[in-house]
Amino acid sequence: MNIDAENERNVKAAAGQPDVTAEAKAAAGQPDMTAEAEAASESLRSKAEAGEPADFAAAADKEEDAAVHEKEETGTYKKTLTIAFAGNPNCGKTTLFNDYTGANLKVANWPGVSVEKKEGAMKYHDDTFKLVDLPGTYSLTAYTMEETVSRNFILSDEVDLIIDIADASALERNLYLTLQLIELGKPVILALNMMDIVEKRGMEIDFHRLPEMLGIPCIPISARTKKGLNILMHAAAHHADSSEKQSPLIHQHTHNKESQSHHQHHHHQQYVMVYSDEIEDKIDAVSVKLKELYPSLTNYRWHAIKELEKDTEIAEKYPLDLPDVIDRSYEDDIITQKYDFIEEVIDECLVNKDTKEAATDRADRILTNRWLGLPIFLLIMAGVFVLTFAVGNAMKGGLEYLLDLFSNAVRSGLASAGAASPVISLLCDGIIAGVGGILTFLPNIFVLFLALAFLEDSGYMSRVAYVMDGVMGRLGLSGKAFIPMILGFGCTVPAIMASRALATRKDRFRTMLITPFFSCSAKLPIYVLFSGMFFPKFAGLAAFSLYAAGFLLGLLVAFLAKLFDKEPYENDLLIELPEYKRPSSHTIFIYVWEKVKDYLTRAGTIIFIASIVMWFILNFGPSGFVGSSMENSFGSLAGKAIVPVFVPLGLGYWQIVVALIAGISAKEVVVSSCAVLFGISNVQSAAGMSKMVTDLSAMGFGPLNAYCLMVFCLLYVPCIAAMATIRRESGSRKYTAFVIVFQLAIAWVVTFIIFQVGRIL
Amino acid sequence: MTLDKAESGKTYEVESVDLPIGLHIRLEALGMTKGTDIDVTETKEHGTVIMKLRGTRFAVGKGISSHISVKEVAVHEH
Repeated sequence: MNIDAENERNVKAAAGQPDVTAEAKAAAGQPDMTAEAEAASESLRSKAEAGEPADFAAAADKEEDAAVHEKEETGTYKKTLTIAFAGNPNCGKTTLFNDYTGANLKVANWPGVSVEKKEGAMKYHDDTFKLVDLPGTYSLTAYTMEETVSRNFILSDEVDLIIDIADASALERNLYLTLQLIELGKPVILALNMMDIVEKRGMEIDFHRLPEMLGIPCIPISARTKKGLNILMHAAAHHADSSEKQSPLIHQHTHNKESQSHHQHHHHQQYVMVYSDEIEDKIDAVSVKLKELYPSLTNYRWHAIKELEKDTEIAEKYPLDLPDVIDRSYEDDIITQKYDFIEEVIDECLVNKDTKEAATDRADRILTNRWLGLPIFLLIMAGVFVLTFAVGNAMKGGLEYLLDLFSNAVRSGLASAGAASPVISLLCDGIIAGVGGILTFLPNIFVLFLALAFLEDSGYMSRVAYVMDGVMGRLGLSGKAFIPMILGFGCTVPAIMASRALATRKDRFRTMLITPFFSCSAKLPIYVLFSGMFFPKFAGLAAFSLYAAGFLLGLLVAFLAKLFDKEPYENDLLIELPEYKRPSSHTIFIYVWEKVKDYLTRAGTIIFIASIVMWFILNFGPSGFVGSSMENSFGSLAGKAIVPVFVPLGLGYWQIVVALIAGISAKEVVVSSCAVLFGISNVQSAAGMSKMVTDLSAMGFGPLNAYCLMVFCLLYVPCIAAMATIRRESGSRKYTAFVIVFQLAIAWVVTFIIFQVGRIL
Repeated sequence: MTLDKAESGKTYEVESVDLPIGLHIRLEALGMTKGTDIDVTETKEHGTVIMKLRGTRFAVGKGISSHISVKEVAVHEH
């Protein structure tokens, strides 16, 4: 691999351009960009494992307020620290990271989102800090990929300091990771986030005693209200410096009966977490052996503890032959004793716990109620769709008007400038019609993503996993599999990525198979246009019926997959239900903006290009420029060759076939292609629609055909970006090919049935 | 009894966990060690429960809850 290119990428990532855009780029049909971002994090990972020193060469911007830095000469500043952000899922880590770096990473209020680590840079006085946001984990075992990755990265020389972000309102659970991080032997600072919630609930934390017991600085912050951020970085700058470690004050382990301890070492003056005498003896014995066999190791204590836990990774790397000492796995004891110590810390440092019932409990009594939960969820989803259509339709008039003005101005301007008619046609009938037509659907897309952002950020999304668990259980999937499906209503690409959070490969594969049936927002323009044209009075209902059909078909496929599966289904749902919170406007803004930007990017790139290509293949034929007689164009000839396959579906029109094929690049292209095909500058306007209805009706394309078209669009293969994501996430070409063939077959069969039955009725 | 048979609004003490090692350790890391109190706040048919474990809520499916042995704890009034 080219090292320079790698470094360049790393620096780029560090300069606050993290790979969160990879998702958007993938959706824009540039999946190779994601691969690049992955390669960058992969190279970092391997570097981390190899223990190479940091090659981060970014320095601060000249401007004081700029938090995002470009690559510049090093050496002008005193210090470059690499700080790893570690913490449980939902602890506000990503929000804090965004606060410092000015980056716009997506924050999700349900676990399993940041699966890759993200980097950013910030300036603190004269120092440059490189911040690395690690995936949220509850612990650092070797049982899951992301925990192993985080652990190895922290252990590498690259990391100077760890900031452990803890949700102070759930301190007891968060401290477990803290103890594990402290044991790794690097300087750790505990940032107690969500102090605003702690105060609101009437809890108090003893900030004098807590650092004493843990032996590390503990800084109260609130990432959401940006309080305590300077103090935290101040602590970081100083704590990483201090060569002499702050030793924890002596405390009594009640379970240890310290007073009767026979132990010869003064562990309590050296370590925060001291285990029972039995385990401490074993740690000492293993450490001695490790020193003997692997003299280059550092932090023998941590490695010894891992050996006692029979940690697969460490045991393989540093095999030991101590059957008397390591006679079984002591992981159970080690965890229990850590929690015993945590209980002591909580007893001493947390005052007034549980004085007030959390608002979350009250809300959950209704929202997750065994009878009300499901109807409420269905109501919420129905509300989301009603809003998407109602608000979108209310706003589209203005956009159409602007588009018409623009198109007419360009047309008359070009004509008066004496431009050739193919040029005018390319601009107005090709580009403006195709791209502009798609832009008029922006309000619908905006409202849909706004609603999804609210659901995610409020904390409701993980409740959906619980509410849908019973239904999903009958289909052989855990409720967690439903989260990717809901996200699929927005965009299939991130939805498929979200299936990573599922426990088994089988669950992931099934979820990826079903997710495309959950109609994505790119298919929305197709529904809006065709139901608006052919079912003007029942447009909303027609569109909703498609969403419902996709939903039910997805569930049916899952059910069939379960029937064919011989293994009994074990419901291994395990998901944290975070506190409900008022959605943060910043988080919502980032979320919606990313999606809107993505949509605009797609309109400017893939749909733009598709429109031009469509214009060319429809205006040129074997005989050259064919102009208005599209019948002789390349597009027409190609479409006609495939038409026989679509005749039984009521879609046997070459124009429709061409639009459907073009739609594989992105689903909106079906609409933009129709605009080009029928020479309509504004497909959503009343005039545009009526011209298209007239043209289509003249071809014999009626409401039934329109419905069949929408059903086929709902079910046939997702766009290229989604397919590339399935390929990447499944890691299997065979599976991807299966998904494609499966979707095409389903789309054909279902549309066939609808058309044939509809014809009889 | 096992956790899937728990009733909402009651508190239980964990007696033992009988699950594959990876899952067992994951639960322990979340604080489900022997003797820990868990509050069951919501239950559903099929044994899926919402529990509060050391201050954090989790939804747990039957495949897990039916392998966690618990005993009811007498509720102490606040």
